[in-house]
Amino acid sequence: MEGLAHAWTALTTTPAIFAAFGGVAWGILGGALPGISPSITMALLLPFTYTMEPITAIVLLASTYVGAEYGGSIPAILIRTPGTNAAAATAIDGYEMHKQGKGGEALGLSLISGVFGGLIGILCLILLTKPLAGVALYFTPPAYFSLGILGLSVIASLSSGSLIKGLMAGVIGLMIATVGTDPVAGVTRFTYGAPELLGGIPFILVMVGVFAVSELLVQAGEPGQHERTASRQMRIVLPSWAQFRRLTKPQLIGSGIGAFEGCMPGAGGTIASFMAYNEARRWSKTPEKFGKGSDEAIVAPEAANNTVAGTAIIPVLSFGIPGSNSTAILLGGLLIHGLQPGPLLFDQRPDVIYGLFGGLLVANVAQLLIGILLLTPAIWLVNRPKPYLMAAIYALIFSGIYSIDHSLFDLYLVLIAGAVGYVMRLLGFPFLPLVLGLVLGYLIEANYRRSLLLTGGEHRVFIEDPISLGLLITALVFIIGSGIRDYRDMRKKQAAADDESEA
Amino acid sequence: MSFINRDTWIGLVMMLVAAVYWLEADKIKISPLDGPVGASGLPKSLAYALGALSLILIGRSLVSALMTPKSASEKAADEPSLADTMRPHLRAVGMLGIGAAYLLLVSWLGYIVAIAALLLAVSLYIGAAWTFRTLLIAVGGGILYYLLFVQFLGIPLPPGKIPALLGLG
Repeated sequence: MEGLAHAWTALTTTPAIFAAFGGVAWGILGGALPGISPSITMALLLPFTYTMEPITAIVLLASTYVGAEYGGSIPAILIRTPGTNAAAATAIDGYEMHKQGKGGEALGLSLISGVFGGLIGILCLILLTKPLAGVALYFTPPAYFSLGILGLSVIASLSSGSLIKGLMAGVIGLMIATVGTDPVAGVTRFTYGAPELLGGIPFILVMVGVFAVSELLVQAGEPGQHERTASRQMRIVLPSWAQFRRLTKPQLIGSGIGAFEGCMPGAGGTIASFMAYNEARRWSKTPEKFGKGSDEAIVAPEAANNTVAGTAIIPVLSFGIPGSNSTAILLGGLLIHGLQPGPLLFDQRPDVIYGLFGGLLVANVAQLLIGILLLTPAIWLVNRPKPYLMAAIYALIFSGIYSIDHSLFDLYLVLIAGAVGYVMRLLGFPFLPLVLGLVLGYLIEANYRRSLLLTGGEHRVFIEDPISLGLLITALVFIIGSGIRDYRDMRKKQAAADDESEA
Repeated sequence: MSFINRDTWIGLVMMLVAAVYWLEADKIKISPLDGPVGASGLPKSLAYALGALSLILIGRSLVSALMTPKSASEKAADEPSLADTMRPHLRAVGMLGIGAAYLLLVSWLGYIVAIAALLLAVSLYIGAAWTFRTLLIAVGGGILYYLLFVQFLGIPLPPGKIPALLGLG
């Protein structure tokens, strides 16, 4: 009841409700643009949240995530080009339905199952976040250090690409985090006389650079148009009650998988939606329709990736460890406003936590309305020529980043981060460990040095603390497991090459 | 037959980065407030970690190359020409160049002119035709951004020196 009161107060005394509506709208439009992922959509918004109240800013970012997950299904259904990675599973049957003249119905199914999945995700978020955050109350500085190491190891292990490159990206992120004033003695490091670097490199600059600018650089390398849809006007056809009831099973399958996958670091909406697609087909009475325009094949992945939008926030709020690019941006939004996730946040800023829960609830319901209203503008946007869209996004980045500190120096840093992101893409390095290393750098170093201050430099403390030991062992298990997977992949490739040469 | 593949090069470059980072970390001042580790402790550990990971990457890629060597003819058949490979990267560099040019010019031209020029340059660069429509979109976009950021959000974006010299600022 107390939480409900906090949520009500937060939503009625701040512009958080408007932020929920605005975030969903921005998310749908951003998600609808092929190549613009939910994390890029959120990163573009991040500079504008600086001057907002914390609750408004966090609801805006989280609602953008919600909207983008639905928005991605619009081009997936209309032009078989998923706006987001998670919508790739939707494209299979969604586009088939569109070809059969049932595009409006497919969009309606996507919208309704997205709202359904989103509400399940919020329910999990509300029920699981506080108990999990309570665990963190037992954490000591060595345990916090080990938690940071675990977070980095898990993300590096599960990110796309090789384990070693994932770990390297994490280390580079930590290296970037060491720029500026150190967290214990106040000594300046790697600033080279630039006063702008005394406070460190703000992670917002790195996030916008590696996610958004690097995507623009990739797009610049591939001139030409993305596919357009002939359907300039389309009406969403919402499913009837009977159809909705018939589709309950695949929706529950999708939501169940989304709830589980969302809590797992590195898994995310893409894996959840493909798993949901497969499981829905396995449990379907008409599996032969999958791939030919099955309505079950749309609702399962859409319910899954929208559930993930809620459950992926659980590890962020409980431990401050994001499991995906989008939640890393959300964590960035929390830290920008001085909000350190964890159990203390429930005591210190319940308005933010419960306001976020309330805001997400509003966002999901708003998605139903905004999804219908914004379909025509979204189709219009999908049909805009790529050069104008990319130019507008580039200009938005330059204007938005400048508005944070009124500094041109920041913009140079964004360009450098963009170049680094481009090179990372090129060489197969995942982004998330880099961003996570940067975000967790302070937590890791401060707790590492505090632990050693308490013990006079004895590193034993990290294995004497039972929680710390457990976390370090888990990190090791992930690294070894991932190493074995990499080795097996290498052997498989070698075997395939041998077979080819013999043939 | 060459065993130096892409991952080996990445490992070597990362090794160099680790070495330079360690040397720079070694220059960090010692403070009386430093604990047992000091301000350079973590950076040096990170340099070692990156160095070790680089060695593993180099070792793995060399082993992989030895196990599945490619003949010169296979390589020639697989690999696109250098010009094809470099084209998208050069275009990406050009995009960065447009961004850098904007940053150099915005203090002189002022935000509204510079942002319109940025919109025009990027549109043309990514493939828009040089037409009146493109020009109109760039100018209209510039005005829209100016109204949004400067007038509506109140961000003091650079007014520019040239407009002031012309008595427009």
